[in-house]
Amino acid sequence: MANIAAQRIKREFKEVIKSEEVAKCAIKVELVNDSYTELKGEIAGPPDTPYEGGTFVLEIKVPETYPFNPPKVRFMTKIWHPNISSVTGAICLDILKDQWAAAMTLRTVLLSLQALLSAAEPDDPQDAVVAKQYRENLEMFQITARHWTNVYAGGPHVNSDCDDKIRRLVDMGIEEHQARAALSSYNWDLERATEQLFS
Amino acid sequence: MEEIMTTSQGCESDMDCSDNECYEDYYNINDDSDIEQVDPRKVDPEYFEFKCLYEEEVDRLLNETVETLSNILHIPPSLAKVLLHGHQWNIEEVTRKYHDNPSNTLITSKIEPVTTHSNIIMGRYMCCPVCVMPHPVDKFHSLTCGHLFCRDCWTMHFEVQINQGISTGIACMARECDVLAPEDFVLRHLTRPNMREKYQQFSFQDHVKSHPELRFCPGPNCSIVVHGREIKAKRAICTQCKTTFCFKCGCDYHAPTDCQVIKKWLTKCADDSETANYISAHTKDCPKCHICIEKNGGCNHMQCYNCKHDFCWMCLGDWKSHGSEYYECSRYRENPNIAHESVHAQAREALKKYLHYYERWENHSKSLKLEEQTLGKLRSRINQKVMSGLGTWIDWQYLFTAANLLAKCRYTLQYTYPYAYYMDAGPRKELFEYQQAQLEAEIENLSWKIERAETTDRGDLENQMDIAEKRRTTLLKDFLDV
Ligand SMILES: [Zn+2]
Ligand SMILES: [Zn+2]
Ligand SMILES: [Zn+2]
Ligand SMILES: [Zn+2]
Ligand SMILES: [Zn+2]
Ligand SMILES: [Zn+2]
Repeated sequence: MANIAAQRIKREFKEVIKSEEVAKCAIKVELVNDSYTELKGEIAGPPDTPYEGGTFVLEIKVPETYPFNPPKVRFMTKIWHPNISSVTGAICLDILKDQWAAAMTLRTVLLSLQALLSAAEPDDPQDAVVAKQYRENLEMFQITARHWTNVYAGGPHVNSDCDDKIRRLVDMGIEEHQARAALSSYNWDLERATEQLFS
Repeated sequence: MEEIMTTSQGCESDMDCSDNECYEDYYNINDDSDIEQVDPRKVDPEYFEFKCLYEEEVDRLLNETVETLSNILHIPPSLAKVLLHGHQWNIEEVTRKYHDNPSNTLITSKIEPVTTHSNIIMGRYMCCPVCVMPHPVDKFHSLTCGHLFCRDCWTMHFEVQINQGISTGIACMARECDVLAPEDFVLRHLTRPNMREKYQQFSFQDHVKSHPELRFCPGPNCSIVVHGREIKAKRAICTQCKTTFCFKCGCDYHAPTDCQVIKKWLTKCADDSETANYISAHTKDCPKCHICIEKNGGCNHMQCYNCKHDFCWMCLGDWKSHGSEYYECSRYRENPNIAHESVHAQAREALKKYLHYYERWENHSKSLKLEEQTLGKLRSRINQKVMSGLGTWIDWQYLFTAANLLAKCRYTLQYTYPYAYYMDAGPRKELFEYQQAQLEAEIENLSWKIERAETTDRGDLENQMDIAEKRRTTLLKDFLDV
């Protein structure tokens, strides 16, 4: 690993650890290996959002050319958000692409991602299905996002209606996550989700 | 002196003078008592003035503009370059904007920041925010925004960006600062010769692309840049590699169709290639004796080798009905009651309509290739004639001129089909289809005569050439709207 990259990551790692956000348990980073090329990040779901109470784990890969190129970041925790792929966890955020600046740090990245959870940008979507739901049926979107937060990120809000519908599909032999994804995509319309799964 | 090219060709002006219009011109000119003042723009709808430039010549042209602006505004040339690049090299517009509001112009052009960052420097060492290392203060540089970074970090930043193909768009390394690094600043930080070269190559490409009067020749491995006087969808020909292209969009020349329509058409053809595939057949049955006929020449006027029936390859109709009067084969007759039909019927009709135009478009494209082969065969036959003392190459030259003219006419004809496809019904479309039909008929006559060239009377052939080209120019004069 290039000298500057390692130097910077070490420094930023300390910066995050000492930051006031860590003190408030809002963000966190951990080393995955000794070479500082891969890290594990964590952000807390922001209050007053469907993600509240959840903890979201991020995969952070540091390129050879860091900090002149942005880190490659992906959600490891499954999440329902217009700018994050519900399948791969890939993120659509300008600072992780062409708006990256070498003076930015891991801390700024984590805080920006947290801000993205508070304020989605449905006009620049990563996941077209989620973005469509967000634009056309905000209430349904919030129910779905809260349910995913509960199931995958340890959020406190159990939605028994969602759980029931998933159980119905699981009883028909569908894998649980596949059932959840289908129901989420069809606004929890059991009939249409079933149709799609068996077509 | 560079040579100014035009796309008119010598033989055309000869032909134009056999026309009545030219006689009128001749008399008019007599009044003006100057024969030389015929405006080629009016005579030739495809007339286009352009120059083919080498890289050094383009550099000179760009640098002259940069210098002019730099002198007018009293700013360094590297900043003038950024301004011009951001304003399509429109020197008048930049000057006007700058005089109206200099600081706003510099901010929107990303030469200056909205607010300048002020640095408090204490001591002889400073920590660089990018490499987080202490360096002597004099090793720090900044753009107009005042964001200081160490020299090595600037170098690294530029190298990483250049390796990603970025040159004129490299911004400051600070967060939310979009001030652009001007050329002299970048070059001052690039030490490796191959990096400097790469940077200059990429920024040269960016500058040519932002200059509306300049276009890279699309020919493979060709570095010629075409400089056009007007930014129009006209035909440019590269003097170096002979590639012909539309000056405006850089794609294959497409008159009379315009750049957007041809793009739409080509996308449609690519999307519908499956549907249209069955058309690719090279054989059809003779409509009279039903024997299988293969098309091996460009001409659509077919004669069955079995029963000698003359028919049209496109519509399989009797060739006699395609005579000089009104060639109906190219026109698509839409169902007038289609609006009241079912959705399925409408979809079927839409497909039928598309296939009609696509078939003809595709057929002319194939004919062009077949006629190229015919020309090759012709060349070797003439070679034999010349070898056995039957005239010289000069005697047979007219045949090649005819073949080239045929290719040019057929090319235009091919591009009339996308034009017609997207045209709204009405008198203008009727006129277009009338002229298209006329051109179609004369081109097939010409093709027929060239295929039998060695036995056709030379005068007859030259007359046919004249008529075909006349039809082509008439259609372009009326419909080439650039
Ligand atoms: Zn540095
Ligand atoms: Zn800056
Ligand atoms: Zn060329
Ligand atoms: Zn064009
Ligand atoms: Zn026959
Ligand atoms: Zn026909």
